[in-house]
Amino acid sequence: MSTSDLDPERVRRLRDALQHALMLEHATIPAYLCALYSIEDGTNVEAAEIIRSVVMEEMLHMVLVANVLNAVGGEPSVDHAGFVPRYPTQLPYSDGRLVVGLRRFSPEAIQTFLAIERPEPAAARPLVEGYDTIGQLYAGVELELTSLGPAVFTGKLDRQIGPGRFYYGGDGDPVVVRDLDSALAALEIIVDQGEGLDHTIHEGAHPIGSRDQLAHYFRFRQIAVGYHYRESDVANAPPTGSRLAVDWDAVLPMRDNASLAELSPGSEVRRLSETFNHTYGTLLACLHRAFNGQPDELLAAVPLMYQLRYQAVALMRIPCGSDGQTAGPSFEWPPPAAS
Amino acid sequence: MTRVDCEVLIVGAGIAGAILARRLAEAGKDVMVLEAGEATGRTWAEYQSNITAMLASPAKVPNAGWANSAAAPSPSVLDIRPLTPGGPPGTAGYFVQEGPQPFGSDYLRSRGGTTLHWYAHCLRMLPSDFAMRSTYGVGVDWPLTYDDLVPWYAEAEREIGVAAEVEDQLRTGTPFPAAYVYPMHKIPPTYLDRWLTERLDGKPVRIGHESYPTGVVPVPGGRNSMPNPAYDLGRGYQPVGAVGRPTSGLRCEGNSSCIPGCPAQAKYNALKTLEAAVTAGARVMTQAVASKVLVGADDQVTGVEYLRWSGDPFPTAEAHTITARRYVLAAHSVENAKLLLMSGAANSSDQVGRNLMDHPFLLSWARTDEPLGTFRGPGSTAGIETLRDGPFRAQHSSFRTDIDNWGFQILGSPGSDVASAVYGDQLFGTALRKRVSHDVQRQLMLGFLLEQLPHPDNRVTIKPGAYTDALGLPRPVIRYDFDAWTRQGAAVARDCAVQWFEELGADDLTAYAGPDRPMAAHQQFTWKDRPYCTLGAGHLCGTHRMGTTRDDHVVDPDQRSWDHRNLFVIGAGSMPTIGTSNPTLTLAALACRTAAVLVDELS
Repeated sequence: MSTSDLDPERVRRLRDALQHALMLEHATIPAYLCALYSIEDGTNVEAAEIIRSVVMEEMLHMVLVANVLNAVGGEPSVDHAGFVPRYPTQLPYSDGRLVVGLRRFSPEAIQTFLAIERPEPAAARPLVEGYDTIGQLYAGVELELTSLGPAVFTGKLDRQIGPGRFYYGGDGDPVVVRDLDSALAALEIIVDQGEGLDHTIHEGAHPIGSRDQLAHYFRFRQIAVGYHYRESDVANAPPTGSRLAVDWDAVLPMRDNASLAELSPGSEVRRLSETFNHTYGTLLACLHRAFNGQPDELLAAVPLMYQLRYQAVALMRIPCGSDGQTAGPSFEWPPPAAS
Repeated sequence: MTRVDCEVLIVGAGIAGAILARRLAEAGKDVMVLEAGEATGRTWAEYQSNITAMLASPAKVPNAGWANSAAAPSPSVLDIRPLTPGGPPGTAGYFVQEGPQPFGSDYLRSRGGTTLHWYAHCLRMLPSDFAMRSTYGVGVDWPLTYDDLVPWYAEAEREIGVAAEVEDQLRTGTPFPAAYVYPMHKIPPTYLDRWLTERLDGKPVRIGHESYPTGVVPVPGGRNSMPNPAYDLGRGYQPVGAVGRPTSGLRCEGNSSCIPGCPAQAKYNALKTLEAAVTAGARVMTQAVASKVLVGADDQVTGVEYLRWSGDPFPTAEAHTITARRYVLAAHSVENAKLLLMSGAANSSDQVGRNLMDHPFLLSWARTDEPLGTFRGPGSTAGIETLRDGPFRAQHSSFRTDIDNWGFQILGSPGSDVASAVYGDQLFGTALRKRVSHDVQRQLMLGFLLEQLPHPDNRVTIKPGAYTDALGLPRPVIRYDFDAWTRQGAAVARDCAVQWFEELGADDLTAYAGPDRPMAAHQQFTWKDRPYCTLGAGHLCGTHRMGTTRDDHVVDPDQRSWDHRNLFVIGAGSMPTIGTSNPTLTLAALACRTAAVLVDELS
């Protein structure tokens, strides 16, 4: 099949699905970051490391999805208000059953994370819209890529983000997507890291895998129950290893779903919150350039990520309201006035 | 063969010992490492506890945050006091200072050693540094040449993970094999580096009647940066992250606390090499202070006696002996010398403890009109590296010049700026913040690392009855002074600073006497009627120097004791001269070389 034989409508739907996947991968990151940054320095060391490792991989997933989208001639778009959810939010283009909020590190937050990362039931149909799990979405994309065949890979190679240079501090590495095999390899990393072995959580006594390669769902489950998995543990039973100490009180008391609107105009905390959102917008703009032909911009994004963290923690230290809670980052697309 | 406890016993779990332990263990040898200090940094959490302690420490001196115990005390720069000529020795802290200059440097007796708080500058020595006597008629020649060390420098640069560009380093007069690249690209130059390059690079500076070009050159750093894909003939390089958390520290984060400690472990420390050694099967015993090297009738070492201690600050200890086929002392220049003197071993040359060298660190500081980006990035990422060699070395010392990214931090800033704004000018709030930011951003600090020549009277000795530590072991007694060659070097360095400040239009604030003198610079001297004061640089060398003859050298070119052929004494103490490079890379290269000798010999 040559390029001209492709059904343009199907190609458009595929690109849309990948753009949605990009939005989805991104939408979880602010939620994870709020939990991570609310943990008091030096406490909950293991829990923090688990969340951090998941965030690192979500960032890798964004790059991988952008590479696939670029490979099929799409243009990833991450620097506009429509890309940034208003929290609490349904995950983009999902069936709406799961609502994700910006919350401090807490049992409730971890329950949400488990729901985000829940492996798909065996019977789940591949879907590119109205999916229930992330795995369904990616299974739908994989089917569509396979069905469309090699002609769909029309993207320019210089828009790809390559391995060995930009990504570090987490498992995996970007994959340059040039054909079906590399596209499937990229998507496999996402699904494997996120959900791990297909179906095993629902289907009985499959081993969950060695501990340093646990899928996100199982990593979070360790925090939820306060025990480590052992290698002999199975997916449909709780972990049976050593204790994983969690101190739910060693946490900055950030209020749920902080927003700019609730802060009085002209106040210092409002200014800091606006600054945070401005930094966040600058970061997304930087990522947008990186995904659209200027891969080196990813280098400039790294200091912005650090800045974001310092500004988030500063907000979480400012008392806000009369209930002993503090302000927090709202991850809102900055209105033009703030930038 | 007689039964022994291990094949190779190594005393000291710092970088030299770790390099040997790793290579020997990976070659299948049974290795035991004795470490006098405590077990630090075996896990991420353990390392973070030291970082937390460092952050809580009011004085961010190099040893802040790291374990210090009565049983294995470390010298602290906080214990250094000026000495009165003809007065009593300085006895504060661990060192006994007999003067006339107080010795100004510290080190760390701990698992991981002084690399826990080093700067991680990794400059190779220059070819002429190995041949000072034959080139300039001063000092001594090494038994090795730069070319002999080239492959071992490369191995050390891989072990440490050095970030630099060959093209930059060629400007310093360091030659490289044609195909060589460093494992990682250089740390990006700071704003200050670029600012100074623009204004000073290539500008002539006068030394005597000669003119030399000022070369602002990035410093090779033992800190993780972007890997160079061309490294290792295109195989690339994989940065090594933190111990116990390999995803941390894969790139320098610009935390600006290299000294006293890198919170991410992006900066190399010997814990990383030790972890590889332990993975390969090496055993490390901490809180085990080697107290005597036992020598048999045939001049072979027959064992090492050590004190296994617990409890602090009132330790109890039990003596044990451990035996091996080969013994390696890698305990640091001062501790190696101390242990040999305590044991009456390896000293037929009478050179053990002598020829102690450091880099007297001379500061020059000025105020600029423009902001400099102070406190962005590692403490120093570039230096003025073109005055490290020249015919002037026949008359006076050469020097390398650290360009300091942290303003007047070494003089007490920014705390001192805050204090003067608050107490002096009664500022607070926004005005205070603006003042401090304005002032700190305009602080230009240059630090000169002056070369010293080996002198037999600059030495470490012991006085067992008089000065002992909590375990009853002798404390190091140090005699130390600067000769005319180094003092003249200080005068020349100062004169260069004056020229550069003039070129920059900067307001020279340097004061070596009076109330503006740097508080910590306890070494004071006059030269040609002008006062100078210097600090230590932590670069202790020369106390068991190597050479081709046994009558005036402690070890041979393989760092093997001339007196006891199954004993190796390794580290910067083996260096016959100090040159102007920060010595860790060179001692690491020497350790790699000795490791190869030992692996070969035991196979």
